[in-house]
Amino acid sequence: MERERLTLRHVVLRFGFLIVFAAFFVLFSVWNPVFLNGGNLLNIVEGSAILMIVALGLTLVVATGGIDLSIGIALDFGAAFAVVAMSGYGMGWFGAACIGVIGGSLVGLVNALLVVGLRITPFLATLSTFFIGSSVQRIFTNGGGPISYRRMPTEFRNIAQGDIFGIPSEAVIAAVLVVIYYIVLERSIWGRRIHAMGMQRSAAIVAGIRVNRILVLCFVTAAMTCAVGGLIAAANIRMFTPLSGFSYLLDAIAAVFIGAALHPRGRPNVLGTVAGVLFLGMVANGLNLMGLNFNTKDALQGIILVSALALAVAQRRARTG
Amino acid sequence: MRAEARLSAWLSDLVGYLPLAILIGVLAYISLNAPNFLTLRNLELVLMQSLPVVLVCAGLAVVVMAGGDDVVSGGIDLSIPATAVLSAGITAQMLTLGYPLALCAVAALVACLVVGVINAALVSRIGMTPLLTTLAMFVAVVGVNNVVTASRRINVDHPWILALREAEIGGMPLGIVLVVMIVGTLFVAAHQTRWGLNLQAAGGSRDAAEISGINPGRLVGQSFVVAAVTGFVCGFFVLARGSGSSPGVQDNLMLEMVLATFLGAAFSPRRVVTLWGAVLGAVLVAAISIGFKSMGVNVFWTGLIKGSLIVVVVAFSAMAQRGR
Amino acid sequence: MAGITVTQAAFSLSDIVKIFPGVRALDRASLEVRPGEVHGLIGENGAGKSTVIKVLAGVCQPDSGTIIVGGQRIASATPAGVHSAGVRFIHQELHLVPHFTVTESVFMGQELHGSLGLARRKMRRLAEAFLRDNLGLDISGNRLIRDLGTAERKLVQVARALIDGAAKAVIFDEPTAPLANEEIEMVMQAIARLKAQGIAILYVSHYLSEITDICDRVTVYRQGRTVGVFDEISDASAGELIYAMIGREISDMFPNKGARATGEGLVVDGLSDGAHFDSVSLTVGKGRILGIAGLIGSGREELIDTIYGLRRKTAGSLRFDGETLQVATAAQAVAQGIVLVPRDRRNDGLVLPMTVAENATLATLEANSRAGLIDARAVGDATTALIDSLDIRPPNVDAVTRLLSGGNQQKVVLARWLAADARVFLFDEPTVGVDVGAKAEIYQLIEDLATKGASVILSSSDPVELLGVCDQIVVMMRGRVAGEVAASDVSVDNLVAAITGAAMVEGFANAR
Repeated sequence: MERERLTLRHVVLRFGFLIVFAAFFVLFSVWNPVFLNGGNLLNIVEGSAILMIVALGLTLVVATGGIDLSIGIALDFGAAFAVVAMSGYGMGWFGAACIGVIGGSLVGLVNALLVVGLRITPFLATLSTFFIGSSVQRIFTNGGGPISYRRMPTEFRNIAQGDIFGIPSEAVIAAVLVVIYYIVLERSIWGRRIHAMGMQRSAAIVAGIRVNRILVLCFVTAAMTCAVGGLIAAANIRMFTPLSGFSYLLDAIAAVFIGAALHPRGRPNVLGTVAGVLFLGMVANGLNLMGLNFNTKDALQGIILVSALALAVAQRRARTG
Repeated sequence: MRAEARLSAWLSDLVGYLPLAILIGVLAYISLNAPNFLTLRNLELVLMQSLPVVLVCAGLAVVVMAGGDDVVSGGIDLSIPATAVLSAGITAQMLTLGYPLALCAVAALVACLVVGVINAALVSRIGMTPLLTTLAMFVAVVGVNNVVTASRRINVDHPWILALREAEIGGMPLGIVLVVMIVGTLFVAAHQTRWGLNLQAAGGSRDAAEISGINPGRLVGQSFVVAAVTGFVCGFFVLARGSGSSPGVQDNLMLEMVLATFLGAAFSPRRVVTLWGAVLGAVLVAAISIGFKSMGVNVFWTGLIKGSLIVVVVAFSAMAQRGR
Repeated sequence: MAGITVTQAAFSLSDIVKIFPGVRALDRASLEVRPGEVHGLIGENGAGKSTVIKVLAGVCQPDSGTIIVGGQRIASATPAGVHSAGVRFIHQELHLVPHFTVTESVFMGQELHGSLGLARRKMRRLAEAFLRDNLGLDISGNRLIRDLGTAERKLVQVARALIDGAAKAVIFDEPTAPLANEEIEMVMQAIARLKAQGIAILYVSHYLSEITDICDRVTVYRQGRTVGVFDEISDASAGELIYAMIGREISDMFPNKGARATGEGLVVDGLSDGAHFDSVSLTVGKGRILGIAGLIGSGREELIDTIYGLRRKTAGSLRFDGETLQVATAAQAVAQGIVLVPRDRRNDGLVLPMTVAENATLATLEANSRAGLIDARAVGDATTALIDSLDIRPPNVDAVTRLLSGGNQQKVVLARWLAADARVFLFDEPTVGVDVGAKAEIYQLIEDLATKGASVILSSSDPVELLGVCDQIVVMMRGRVAGEVAASDVSVDNLVAAITGAAMVEGFANAR
């Protein structure tokens, strides 16, 4: 490999993900011209908003070197607390939204307690939180029935269904969070510290970085972010559906790791996560427009997910040699 | 200072047995409150109930042995439950279409091997982390299975499959005998053969294995294929337990598999995932589920109890490790 | 080469050239090792030692040159071919599985089979016999690797390479680097036994005292070339060897001690951690360099870690200029101007996947930021200045630290703390795995720190280094301070005797 050779394999490995992204884009556009329609592209962005928000939270935890399997629970809690605050306690939309975010943060606090306080590995700790959180929802809803609130204030519904200058508000919220996350994780001193501890924890400790404090903050922030996703989900359907957050987990993990694989040095990063989310959103939307049966679409999506991850990883390896 | 060191080593040994002690305590509590729990009939029920989880746990243990026990960077195979469900789905669908059982089994085996080989290739050749690979494969395989079964429940009443649940050999249920034989074979392969030692070497220290002329990549790949085969077998037990294939079994199976395997690691004195530890973990988890059910505890609480169990057991095991 | 026939050498490499992109790693380098001799190979980092070993191992193909193993010329060496020719490598890293037994480790990858699966009993018998008879280690084959000492592990590693009995030549790459002094002796004796069996041994090491002790002949590399082959080696050769290696005298290694500031500085009062050391008291005045000597297990490492807040103290206190310091975490230590250059550079010193700039400014992010956002230009400028003043190579702020040599990695760690403007510097084995040239630069930096008024603690297993760099030396033994002496009042021999507990030498004042 000492001389650069421009073989097909080389090209595919080097630009693989970009090529795949473009190939799918062209395929979907040719198959159904509606795909290229401005309104549909906006649909993709809007439809990816919740996944984007959840994936951002996960990016933060993965950057610390951990993993969070309970992000779906934080999303559920966010929705549940907000809906119950409005329906059960008659709170205003803003108060309810705040209560939702605080409710979500409880999940992060439990994770932080388990990981920092009891020194359980993040995988097992957040898996426990997932079990416990799912069970709490079943107990609370008597087996998982949704809590509906038809008379939800318009302002709250606007979190998902409103628009700002014609752009759907959930897309605006996601975009704002992307910007904030980008600045914090990739441009700020805290981001640098998070990355340092994620890559080599013992060296970060010796360098004087307060790793435990960072871990607590990251778990809680991630959970709060996911709770915002929960607010949008609740506002969209005017109800809280228990255990609905789980469906975002695998996609979020995929998006974060596609993103990390796209980074030249394999770091989880915000822009990579955005690319990953948009890719998954585009594939889901495009397959829908192809008019496939639900099961076929699901299977294809899974297969594309595996291939995309494999390509992204292979591409990073080819680049770093 | 020596005496102090010995005392603290002894203490940490003691703490090391706490996870097991806690579980046994929970079981004792259950048997006090549910008098039927400790009957032979019920214990048999526990074992029967745990069989699918035991099988996938055994497969996962082999993968962890070969890949190392770091959950994120080491060996893990989350796709085994999906493979099991695929095996069940293909068999059930083909049986309803009227194919002979042997042909169904061959088709299911081939499909499962394909899953195992893809896992192996992605991890060993392309260098993807096993956690990510197998999680993605889980999604893809479940998707394929939904196409195969059209996301419907398919009833199976083939006598050979039901025999896994109902037949007995010399007074012992056939299913239990078969699973004991399979786990026993895996145990011998992992601990009494050159292949097994090399597998453990690869997981224990990849560099050390490489230096010794062992090819860790190949062994890791083989471990995924072995895991896929356990998934294949598990599929038939899933069919037998549920009298057919139904969608959604995989999620619970996956969670129970991870729970049982890592609980098992907390029992082992070296805190590593072992075959017998994983199997014991699977049986204990089943015992606790059934036990609380027979105590009349609401099913909604089982997740809470299981989650807290991981926390308690793993926290104690982390404490014991810190004591060292 | 003249006068030596090919059959005499166990293996030889001549006129090897190996060019990596931009670097001539080997430039007509040669090496010849005979059966029954211990042959030393020395040179600074980057001199080509590791490349020549890789060429011999068949891991890396030379651009030109001749390789002869066992009298056979080898056109292109492959790892398998070299192995079957009886050449074995003892790598610097142990490469053992902690939860394997001694037997399993010795036979890893070459397990013996009986008719009924593994021949465990036979393997155990063979492993125990081999360790006892050939390496002088009497140990049960059932013990776990993680319960062994480092020297014992090293011998297990050697046994694994030699158990098949086909070894004709053994390459030891820095075998003693992780060992304590009394453990080194075990390895040395094992090597002597191998030599007596007529096995050819190539001994690669940074420790000149070992080279002069054990080697019959020595080859010296500099910048990819053979600059000398010494046939007569005695203790007096060290100076000559260093001169050959770096082209200057040994006395130039250590800086001249300059004028020192005054002030109470750091006072460690009655510090204990409840397990490894007990009521240790030290005083390091401003502008003073205090050495800490002691064997592995003397509590030296744990003491340093506790001062830095990495371990929990059970008693005692720290003061600086009379003011009590609260140090329960490393972050608190850094905040109060105490910094550590750790012994395990690759795990604790640097975030290896990060760049030089990211590592060098990790502790000074606030100073290089505005409103919490990193000022990329300030980081670049600060790093460039540090690279210049420390002569870090390559002089590239964006170089990934994983790819730097040991000496340059250590300089990046130092750079980070220089930028942090600390008042107490803790150095724990700062020159392990660092080549002679970079060592001299690090010594000068330590001296400069003291001249500028910092309190410096240097914990080291190298008595020469302690005497050359420190003002005062404290000797620790079994968790207590055994004595303290001014560096100028003690000889290397006396210091070694005090460290090993062989003698309580005159000039040492008992601490209490």
